[in-house]
Amino acid sequence: MDWEAFQLSLKLAACTVAILLPIGIIIGRFLAWTPFRGRVFLEAVLALPLVLPPTVFGYYLLVSLGGNSRIGHWYESLSGHSLVFTFQGLLVASVLFNIPFAIQPIQRAFQAVPSDVRHAAACCGLSRWRTLWRIELPLAWTGLLSSLVMTFAHTLGEFGVVLMVGGSIPGETKTIAISIYDRVQGFDTASAGLMSAVLLALSLIAIGVTYLTAPRVDRRHA
Amino acid sequence: MPKANDALHVELRQATPIALDVRFSCPAGQILALVGPSGSGKSTILRSIAGIYTPATGKISCAGEDWLDTARGVNVRARLRSVGFVFQSYALFPHLSALHNVMEALSHIPANERASRARAYLARTHLEGLEDRRPDELSGGQQQRVAVARAMARDPRVLLLDEPFSAVDQVTRERLYEELVAQRRELSVPVILVTHALDEAAMLADRMCVLYRGRTLQIGAPYDVMTKPAGVLVAGVLGLKNVFTADVLQHDAEKGLTRLKWGGAMLDARLNATCAIGSRVDWFVPPSHIVLHRPEQRQRGLESEVEGVIVRCVALRETTNIQLAVSTLPGAILSFSIPTRIAQSNGLETGLAITVSLLADGIHIMPPDAVGA
Amino acid sequence: MRDVAAWLRGFVLLAASAIISVPALGQDHPVVAAAADLKFAMEEIVQAFAANTGKSVRLAFGSSGNFRRQIAEGAPFEMFMSADEGFVFALAKEGYTLDEGTLYAIGRLVIIVPHGSALKADSELKDLAAGIQDGRVKKFAIANPEHAPYGRAAQQALIKAGLWDKLQDKLVLGENVSQATQFATSGSAQGGIVALSLARSPTISKLGDYALLPAESHEPLRQRMVLLKKAGETAKDFYAFVQRPDARAVFRRYGFVLPTEQ
Repeated sequence: MDWEAFQLSLKLAACTVAILLPIGIIIGRFLAWTPFRGRVFLEAVLALPLVLPPTVFGYYLLVSLGGNSRIGHWYESLSGHSLVFTFQGLLVASVLFNIPFAIQPIQRAFQAVPSDVRHAAACCGLSRWRTLWRIELPLAWTGLLSSLVMTFAHTLGEFGVVLMVGGSIPGETKTIAISIYDRVQGFDTASAGLMSAVLLALSLIAIGVTYLTAPRVDRRHA
Repeated sequence: MPKANDALHVELRQATPIALDVRFSCPAGQILALVGPSGSGKSTILRSIAGIYTPATGKISCAGEDWLDTARGVNVRARLRSVGFVFQSYALFPHLSALHNVMEALSHIPANERASRARAYLARTHLEGLEDRRPDELSGGQQQRVAVARAMARDPRVLLLDEPFSAVDQVTRERLYEELVAQRRELSVPVILVTHALDEAAMLADRMCVLYRGRTLQIGAPYDVMTKPAGVLVAGVLGLKNVFTADVLQHDAEKGLTRLKWGGAMLDARLNATCAIGSRVDWFVPPSHIVLHRPEQRQRGLESEVEGVIVRCVALRETTNIQLAVSTLPGAILSFSIPTRIAQSNGLETGLAITVSLLADGIHIMPPDAVGA
Repeated sequence: MRDVAAWLRGFVLLAASAIISVPALGQDHPVVAAAADLKFAMEEIVQAFAANTGKSVRLAFGSSGNFRRQIAEGAPFEMFMSADEGFVFALAKEGYTLDEGTLYAIGRLVIIVPHGSALKADSELKDLAAGIQDGRVKKFAIANPEHAPYGRAAQQALIKAGLWDKLQDKLVLGENVSQATQFATSGSAQGGIVALSLARSPTISKLGDYALLPAESHEPLRQRMVLLKKAGETAKDFYAFVQRPDARAVFRRYGFVLPTEQ
């Protein structure tokens, strides 16, 4: 069991969720309730990572963030090292790649909140902030949970993008998924098997949580 | 004593997506019912008043405050307008108890007083003991009362009710009517009630505004609107029967009558001098002004006789509804109702030929619709 | 669950503490990029280094060509042990290294066949030729010649034996020679041409039989190592350690030819 890689993966997943949860709430809410022309187009763009091959994504990230790019140079002048092959680069890639996993469940949950309930909140005199905290988020909590869990699990398992953008640097970018790949290559099948079982269990828990909490929304509004 | 300033003034105009062309006022303490078929814009008007919908052009002011004035760019947010809105679906916050639902409307009260105030409002709507229940643990009628309590808790300047009784059963509905009537005496704000049930409007409202495709057709006291509809369209919207056409024979200004030729019968109608002699007009007689013929009391000029055959005679509790096929004009059906005991004592039944009298002051001549269909 | 505020707050705190503890790429644990054929040998040497000096070094294995590219793109390795000196010279020219490095070993190729394979391992690849002819060979593994030195050498050996064209549609390419060995011994292929240093390890040697290919059948695998620009003290110490007799003994045990012994 590669504890260093496991810890790295957990850290990457936690950071990705911490960044994406507020973004997911803002964008998910906006997409749920604000009609505007070109909305479908925006939704399609945000859903791209769902269908884009990870290596294509990794390629474009390398081109735009790598040592020879504008962003890469700028980052290097600020921090002293490159953006790719570091945890920070991985975090950028992970945040971008998980956008649809973070936004879509939240958007769906907000859409399920009846618009009259929001109007009623306005008529009650609630400020926009209080409406979000007291009314909208509690009613959309299953979407938030889904988003959190799916983003977390997806990040733990992400391979192609991590390999291309991060390499496989122990302690920095060698996540548990890459470690499994490495161990198989290195004939350490016992270790690979153990780590795979752990990821499988975590994935099952993630899916279970998502599916178990989903129907509750309907029951409440019955 | 409500001041003239407390009134609500509404003026809305737009073409799409929902056509609107309305103008009305409602003084404080009065209930104005908006009636009309679906699609006539009733809910949109209500939402415009609340501020959750912004029409293309309009002016709304309440209690002297300008809430909307598209010409000057004024559009006060819904949360600042102080409206009490009871939605058709009640729109209660499903995750909060009845008490907390009402408390959410009390942000203008110091925090430590909110719970007790909320309890007071719930008590007024007869919900003591149920404060801690969530909406899914309450019956339809109870949910409606929570919605009303929440709307009142806002201490609103206008109360808006969007078909608030449509989702409950008859018995509960009648009880809720009584509660509204009782509460309305304490209210000193305008109340706008949207409903498609005419008897509800007639029972609860002080004035009725008939809408069709977003346009105001007629505003007036329910009794006036329902006995003197402004035109065939209004009559249609209100579902009034007994709308017919006749020819104008002569006017008698002294007696205040206009003589009409209706098929083979002569009718004396309330004077309407604007109709030219010989012209074809629409006319209406409310069921209440059709009585069984009493030859011994007949006074010429106040009643017109019509003969016919009963085609339908249905007794509904104390009232019997009768449809009469008019002998002098095939195809014309007169609908009216009389107390069941009178129907029985006169032996009325289907197939019987009888004569009825149409009271002259009930026959209402309707000018051709200025408002197009 | 309804007090979303509370658990969201708790979660953000947890995540914040996680972010803060991101380790800086330390001088204490330099990462050495090592060619895949060095897997077992370097693991032993790193252990010896730790026992000896108490300092630790982390190893990343992969194909030399891949590492060469990553280093050029700013990968934070501190030392590079390539299986092909050409990559080291290229990096030195581009200015990524401290100097031109040192030749540390010469690699050798073997043909390896898993137990139960229809093929037999022989140095002249005669059975391979026969196996291709009579259809016993369905899949054969080598490292990717595009960026793995051992793959390129394997290609050269196969071309010399006149078998390259015939094997084209049966070749399975590993990303590096370690993966190629894994393919070759997994049973899904009839065999492969891989590094002697891997075949010699206890783990691999029990998976099959191998035969050493003559050094003349391919260009010499001159394995060169170099310290990179970011190299710190520990990396420099390690670089020196790898050239000591006890480290060299490990190389020899794994079948590498040492430069002095050429």
